[in-house]
Amino acid sequence: MGGKVSEHRWGMAIDLDRCTGCQACVAACHAENNLPVSNPEQAALGRAVHWIRVDRYYEGEFPNIRVKHRPVLCQQCDEAPCEPVCPVYATYKNPEGLNVQVYNRCVGTRYCANNCPYSVRFFNWFDPEWPEPLQLQHNPDVSIRESGVMEKCTFCIQRIKRAEEEGANNLQPACVQSCPAEAMVFGDLNDPESKVSQLAENSRATQFLEELGTKPKVFYLERVK
Amino acid sequence: MDDVRRDLWRPLQGTSWRYLAVLLPLSMVTLWGLIAWGYQLDRGIGVANIRRPVFWAFYLVDFVFWIGISHAGTLISAILRLTEAEWRKPVTRAAEAITVFALMIGGMFPIIHLGRAWIFYWLIPYPNTRLLWPNFRSPLMWDLCAISTYLIGSSIFLFLPLIPDVAQLARHAKGWRRWVYRKLALGWTGSDREWHALERAMKLMAGIILAVAVSVHTVVAWDFSMAIAPMWHSTIFGPYFVVGAIFSGIAALILAMAVIRRTMHLEQYLTPHHFNNLAKLLLLMSLLWVYFTVSENLTVWYGNEPKEMMVFGARTRGTFAPYFWTMVVCNFFIPFVLLGIRKLRSIQTAIISSVTVLIGMWLERFIIIVPTLSRPRLAAAWGSYSPSWVEISITVATFATMVVLYLMFAKLFPIISIWEFKPHDRVPER
Amino acid sequence: MYLKGEFREKEAAARAILDLKAQGFGPDALDVFSNEPVEFAAGILDRPSRMSLVVVASALTFCLLTILFVRFTQYNYPLVTGGMPLFSFWSTGVVFYELAMLGAILSSFIWFLWESGLIRRKNPAPVPNVEPGVICLRVHCTGEQEEIVSQQLAEAGAIEVAKL
Repeated sequence: MGGKVSEHRWGMAIDLDRCTGCQACVAACHAENNLPVSNPEQAALGRAVHWIRVDRYYEGEFPNIRVKHRPVLCQQCDEAPCEPVCPVYATYKNPEGLNVQVYNRCVGTRYCANNCPYSVRFFNWFDPEWPEPLQLQHNPDVSIRESGVMEKCTFCIQRIKRAEEEGANNLQPACVQSCPAEAMVFGDLNDPESKVSQLAENSRATQFLEELGTKPKVFYLERVK
Repeated sequence: MDDVRRDLWRPLQGTSWRYLAVLLPLSMVTLWGLIAWGYQLDRGIGVANIRRPVFWAFYLVDFVFWIGISHAGTLISAILRLTEAEWRKPVTRAAEAITVFALMIGGMFPIIHLGRAWIFYWLIPYPNTRLLWPNFRSPLMWDLCAISTYLIGSSIFLFLPLIPDVAQLARHAKGWRRWVYRKLALGWTGSDREWHALERAMKLMAGIILAVAVSVHTVVAWDFSMAIAPMWHSTIFGPYFVVGAIFSGIAALILAMAVIRRTMHLEQYLTPHHFNNLAKLLLLMSLLWVYFTVSENLTVWYGNEPKEMMVFGARTRGTFAPYFWTMVVCNFFIPFVLLGIRKLRSIQTAIISSVTVLIGMWLERFIIIVPTLSRPRLAAAWGSYSPSWVEISITVATFATMVVLYLMFAKLFPIISIWEFKPHDRVPER
Repeated sequence: MYLKGEFREKEAAARAILDLKAQGFGPDALDVFSNEPVEFAAGILDRPSRMSLVVVASALTFCLLTILFVRFTQYNYPLVTGGMPLFSFWSTGVVFYELAMLGAILSSFIWFLWESGLIRRKNPAPVPNVEPGVICLRVHCTGEQEEIVSQQLAEAGAIEVAKL
């Protein structure tokens, strides 16, 4: 294993019992990460970009339907299938275990997206557009992605960097910060005292598509009947 | 000048209005494809109708298809050379030329499909200002190495046996052609040292190119099977793709030969015997293809693994079923009936089967790529796909380009190797 | 000086070669020119070749150089790979294979150019103009040998013997 190993290992826990499917995390992510706002035609094609999305699964027969919400974002896999297939190292593992995407390296083969079992990678089919006046509220810490590059959830790496540089406590990605039900918890998996580490040890904790051996750093706390 | 030379040099002289009537409209189609590509470069790859989750579609289908066609030449002519099949002689150059041009076209698609095509050279390892080397672990890097090697190899494989012929032509041609032929002849004199070296090089090259050709299409298959997507992650893909490639390659060769035969009046040289042999090869590959197709689908169906069954269902009875069953008819039933029944086997039925096989093999690549992508593991991300005018234009243009390049080649060089066609008889060993 | 003898039949040409060899002319002094390849039986005019050896050697060399190159480049810019090795032999094996093949292809082409003499002709010997179907034997000899050589060529069945 090459490169230096950092003290942090960022992870997330999402309590599906608490998630109401309100999509506040989706809106917060859009604002924080300068996600383009698709027009209706492009959205209908399936080109809307949501680094975090809330998948809905229905159980039972009408009228006894139970809806399961599951916020899906990049799982920041330890053994990410997207990484080895990139010919230009645009996606790779950074020293803190984050699966990062370097926009300037990306040539747009889209192989990583095909190889992502969680379908959380998004492509810039055109140069991004924002309806007036949304272009005025861009986050200066996050770059705007040009046409032809891949992008995905970064665990709000700009906030992580800022926290590390300025020593701010209470570090949270935008989705976690905005969750009204407090279903999401972010923290350092290397710190056994952190809430996320404890939740990851919880008996309800599972990893999504665990059987693929991708070793995600996002833990879902399953719903109890 | 003897008859063979006269007959085979005739197509090189003059340009008939018919030739131009085919060449010019097709060139316009090529030009249209270039315009479409320019539009795509300008607006963004989004003008192609790919979307999440179908990130790869027509361009990759075309890529695999053309790389498959390229197996016409090298594999067939190399196999026939190595086995010293005498009937190959009028066929080899026609086949090798297909290889080179199909590879040139196929090799363009990985670039066309890039989101930022203008920096495709970032895949090439060279010291650069990014201070970064490429990732040789990526199957796309394997592709780059394999296809470059194959293109260089098959160009040399086409060029080597062309040298004696251009040396002959250089003596008789006039004007700019003479200059071109003289340059290409490399000072060939026809001495026995040259002949010996040529034969030895061709023997070796036939072996090498065979190994490269098999690896190239295996690597193309591995682009898919290295991914963990349902029904892509399969060990059968390597040989399955190689078989499919040879299959479509033979079909392309039969078509090209039929056209050459008619338009250049080479009925004496490309005889029903040649078509009969190639048709039998096509039939054999059709049977091999159906064997692989059954193996692939039966194991998935019997295994009944949910994620794979979603793709299997979409292929065989869902959205993509019409394409799937058309493929089976085109690739198996039509050639099997037309070529399997001896009474029906003729040049015409060989041509018909070749056309259906080309259609079927194009559909096969579509069936392999698109259903898997449109049915990812998480049902919430499922999607669909239909091509845009840009993708269709570029696809159609590549077919036109193939014909244009082939016509131009046939105008410049004898499409049948003259020296191989009439060599001195072998003497029995002393 | 160079003499040429033209033959219609391969057997006649082979006879002439054997006769001249008996007179002490080595294979280096003899050249056969024709528009189509002429295959003599083994032992008449052998041209030993090292092409296979060269091709195998350069394939191995290319393979080794590629392995070194890939290894060097991956360590030259070491990325954290999350537990995976920086240099992985098996997942880069295809690259080694293809480059080995590229080495084989290029070397067989270059060795063809070398062995055929196409790229090492310094003082070009005169080349006879050969009609289709004719086999022309060119002999490199001294002034005194001229008579013997002409006689041998004619005896073997040359239809034309001339100075080049």
